[in-house]
Amino acid sequence: MTEAAEPDFDVIVIGAGIAGAITAYQLATQGRSVVLIERGEAPGAKNLSGGVLYCRGMQEVFPDFLTEAPVERRITRNYINFLNADSSIGIDYKDTRLSDPVNAVTVLRAKLDPWLAEKCEEAGVFLMPGVRVDKVLTEDGPTGKRVVGVKAGDDELRAHVVVAADGVNSFISQEVGLRTKEPLNHLAIGVKCVVNLPRETIEARFSVTGDEGAAFAIVGDCTQGIGGGGFMYTNTESISVGVVLRLDDLTAKNKSTTDILDYFLAHPFIAPYLEGGEVVEYGCHLVAEGGLAMLGEISMDGLVVVGDAAGLTLNTGLTVRGMDLAVASGVAAAKGIGAALDSKDTSKVGLAGYREALFASYAGKDMETYAKAPAFLETERMYKEYGELIGNVLYGVFNLDNSPREHLLKVAMKAFKKSPVKIKHLIKDGLAGVRAL
Amino acid sequence: MKIVVAYKWASNPQDATVGAQGTVDWSRAKPGFSEYDPVAAELARRLADATGGEVIGLTVGTKRVDATLARKAALSRGFDRAVIVADDSLEGAGSTQLAAVLAAAVRHIGDVDLVITGDSSVDVGSKMVPTVLAGQLGWPAVAEVISITGQAGALRVERAVPTGTQVLEITGPVVLAASTDAAVARVPGMKDILAAGKKPVESLDLAALDIPAAAGTTTVTGTSRPDLLTRKGQMIDASDPAAAAAELVAALRGAGAL
Ligand SMILES: Cc1cc2nc3c(=O)[nH]c(=O)nc-3n(C[C@H](O)[C@H](O)[C@H](O)COP(=O)(O)OP(=O)(O)OC[C@H]3O[C@@H](n4cnc5c(N)ncnc54)[C@H](O)[C@@H]3O)c2cc1C
Repeated sequence: MTEAAEPDFDVIVIGAGIAGAITAYQLATQGRSVVLIERGEAPGAKNLSGGVLYCRGMQEVFPDFLTEAPVERRITRNYINFLNADSSIGIDYKDTRLSDPVNAVTVLRAKLDPWLAEKCEEAGVFLMPGVRVDKVLTEDGPTGKRVVGVKAGDDELRAHVVVAADGVNSFISQEVGLRTKEPLNHLAIGVKCVVNLPRETIEARFSVTGDEGAAFAIVGDCTQGIGGGGFMYTNTESISVGVVLRLDDLTAKNKSTTDILDYFLAHPFIAPYLEGGEVVEYGCHLVAEGGLAMLGEISMDGLVVVGDAAGLTLNTGLTVRGMDLAVASGVAAAKGIGAALDSKDTSKVGLAGYREALFASYAGKDMETYAKAPAFLETERMYKEYGELIGNVLYGVFNLDNSPREHLLKVAMKAFKKSPVKIKHLIKDGLAGVRAL
Repeated sequence: MKIVVAYKWASNPQDATVGAQGTVDWSRAKPGFSEYDPVAAELARRLADATGGEVIGLTVGTKRVDATLARKAALSRGFDRAVIVADDSLEGAGSTQLAAVLAAAVRHIGDVDLVITGDSSVDVGSKMVPTVLAGQLGWPAVAEVISITGQAGALRVERAVPTGTQVLEITGPVVLAASTDAAVARVPGMKDILAAGKKPVESLDLAALDIPAAAGTTTVTGTSRPDLLTRKGQMIDASDPAAAAAELVAALRGAGAL
């Protein structure tokens, strides 16, 4: 394939989030010339994330990730919480196996992204912060439209391959026609804040020690019945806490995100964890939730899409995963692009190695495994009735009000009869859940 | 003409927090090209382009001012090259000390016709550095500068004064502090940043600079928030507008405001 002008770089990466930084880093270590363009004045300035990173993939890229990178705590305690207005039911899962080898860590993007960018610069990537890419440059090629570079302001840069790593709602991939505007049920909105608390207070409240940490996944009253969930993650000296709300449900129920977050933070079962803390960061961001259905075309002549921009996010109900998939897609993209550059064919066909590598990785496999999760998580009952049902059963068991005790099954049946949840729902949702998750 | 722009790689107070005791926590604040310095860089570039001169960016600070990111951010602002004094012993250095190091660097560069600075730094904002720097060099200093034209040794400088503007003719080297709105600085584009990566940078060793010893030291021993105005919180019932207006006027008279 012939290209008109001599390109400025082998590869231009748009967006210095996790996906973009990993792609750029991997390509630079292959010896390619790479420019990494970020609209924020500094990498990480514009990024927000709840903060549990499943870190195995990252360790494959940076073997010393755990000791060198700004990680906060290693997650050894997972707490699953069904929250009702006046009751709370939890499954507390602590496992020392989770810390050896370490499987998940909390991170703050304001620290992680600059670290990644620094690694990129050390590897020879030309970092270009403070520049917002306005559009991609295309030319008509033998197989249709081909991406040949980017434009920002009056300046143009050319490359053999452009990588769109510009996050959820990627306007770059929409512009080139790889994606259409996402339907609302593929999107959620995350509202998050970081609350500063002394180390010892966090360790006492979450019963962790040293660099151990806890991850709370919360469903039910934390979102006031809106599809989604809450989370609370421990950092070294702060707590990341927030809610992820399904956009279609939020719009339909006409609620405001800040009201829901405020309600959650003030909830009698949540507030004690945060008491005395100071909110030092606050923000909201879209989350892609469409699962495999959202992952469409991820390459065309001269361009690949990685990370959130490619729709690579998984919401399994208990975990939001995007950062680890961003890593996996960055690694796979660098592999595919490297092969394409070597064979001097950076057309869609030449770049096919990316998709293959992606689907061979844990990311692609997990996207397939959880393909049905988004639809399952749209089930209303998940967010309201189930928590109340369990709450009422347990109330019947523990509320010793001097009335004669009944067998658990009877208590359960009574609570069940009062609940709008019907047997057929239980069976249907149960089966769907087992299949989807 | 040899023009030096003294710029600061400063923490942005937007992300700093003030504690109850008045102490400022800068740990979350991100460093950047100090807010008003692009104006100085712009004035310098325009003058150099008009006279065929050279613009040298000069900064002094801790090691972070010499990071690749910081270098490129500065050099994309239209400097031809940069001179940097980065030493962690300068952590927390005051305006007097920073100005003394800047002066030593200006002497080291040599044959400088003009130093331009921003109005004030975004983090400290003391507005002292340009004048102390001029004092160290034995040069005149002019603040609130809105335009610079002319040639080396024959500069025509316009500055804002409370009653309007003043035009000055300056024959020797001088330190000029630009007013915040003297020019609209251009935003660096991709080509500027690419070019910045290729421009020469000279790192000076602090210990090797000729800095006269200070006659004494200054230490911050306390900080406090500004006194908050205590408000009376007086409410006037406005159900009868005429009566409310009369009551308001009476209250303002009583407080001596009218
Ligand atoms: C509230 C919330 C909680 C979450 N919790 C978790 C979690 O616990 N665990 C997890 O793994 N994932 C979580 N996620 C998802 C995770 O944050 C994303 O999947 C991840 O950030 C994707 O990385 P990325 O690099 O693809 O995109 P991003 O991190 O969004 O990076 C995109 C970058 O591109 C830049 N950019 C965009 N447009 C342009 C342009 N035109 N020119 C230049 N630069 C541009 C942006 O400034 C940004 O730096 C959460 C998300 C949210 C919102």
